[in-house]
Amino acid sequence: MALGGTIRGKKTTLRLPIEADLEMYNRWIADMRVRRAHRVWHEPAMPATWKERFKEIAKDKQNVLWSIDAGGSLVGFALGHLWTMGNGFDVNQLVIDPDEWRKGYGFDAALALHRYVFDYLDLRLATFELRADNGAALKIVTKLGHTEFAHGHEVDYRDGAYVDEIKLRMDKETWHERWSAEREYPPLAADATR
Amino acid sequence: MFGPRIDGHNGIALVPSTLEHFKLHMSWMLQPETDRFWGPRFGEMTDEKQEERFKKTGEDQTQIQWSIAYQDEPVGFAGIFDIDWVRRDGESGIFIGRHDLYGRGIASEAIRLRTDFAWRELRLHRVHNWIAHANRGSRRANEKVGYTQMGLFRRSFFRSGEWYDEWLGEAYPHTFPDQR
Repeated sequence: MALGGTIRGKKTTLRLPIEADLEMYNRWIADMRVRRAHRVWHEPAMPATWKERFKEIAKDKQNVLWSIDAGGSLVGFALGHLWTMGNGFDVNQLVIDPDEWRKGYGFDAALALHRYVFDYLDLRLATFELRADNGAALKIVTKLGHTEFAHGHEVDYRDGAYVDEIKLRMDKETWHERWSAEREYPPLAADATR
Repeated sequence: MFGPRIDGHNGIALVPSTLEHFKLHMSWMLQPETDRFWGPRFGEMTDEKQEERFKKTGEDQTQIQWSIAYQDEPVGFAGIFDIDWVRRDGESGIFIGRHDLYGRGIASEAIRLRTDFAWRELRLHRVHNWIAHANRGSRRANEKVGYTQMGLFRRSFFRSGEWYDEWLGEAYPHTFPDQR
């Protein structure tokens, strides 16, 4: 139910995750560069534990997981939560391999995921929660069109200190204003329904 | 986990939830009077499901749940959920199921007891919550014990032809007023 299918960006492709991806997930979550930037989805664990987590997410009705490829290799994963009433989507994780940072993969995957949220699922809004000092991620979501709606103080703890958290949202109207050229499919041909 | 019994003022107490209380939750949560700021007023509301929820809640190490008692009768529930023991942060919530008892200060006292417990017993660093902006009573009760606004989520949900915003609050030990 909640393993995501293919969403194509220009540099990246979000695709169905498979068990063979889990070793890389584990490696990224154990990387202090990732942990400094993000909240972790799960703590590092043995392969059997990751397989259990993978089975759980596959059955989950509201959380959706994708692996992210670039140039034919696995470079990250994304995890989102579909609201109970089905009109919003929280992007909880968008992790890119730290060795692949600064290549534009994060923005490209985020743009493709938002296109899917607004142009395919027709949802009303998408949200992000980011650490206030994660400048790269804030730049990506601001460029997409997200705006801050809340600022939590001393929310996350890492590296011996608390850090603030910014909550951001983007509404469908903003998507259409900024990214109307981004579509999952071209318009139907005039005679398509004849 | 269930929290311990904490006696407050005016016959109000937080008490460990029982299975009987959980079964009462079902009828409370399906009434239009109590559901204006909640929802969706449907769900898997069977005795079996409540037994499962009760067991899961009791075993869950990331939440503390109480029933609220008024003059020794269960009237609602309160808790701190999704506790992250590294960040020492949790999301607080409260629900008064007996709408005939609104306006008696039950929620205010329950929130005071819950928040005091978060600081004095759990040693949390922060608690936070989302409250319907139009639910002035709940917002005020939280502000009285030190919650301050950290954001506003506009057009969160739709009721009777209107959008409802949500107020996001956060509180810390140093924002709790000395009430002793």
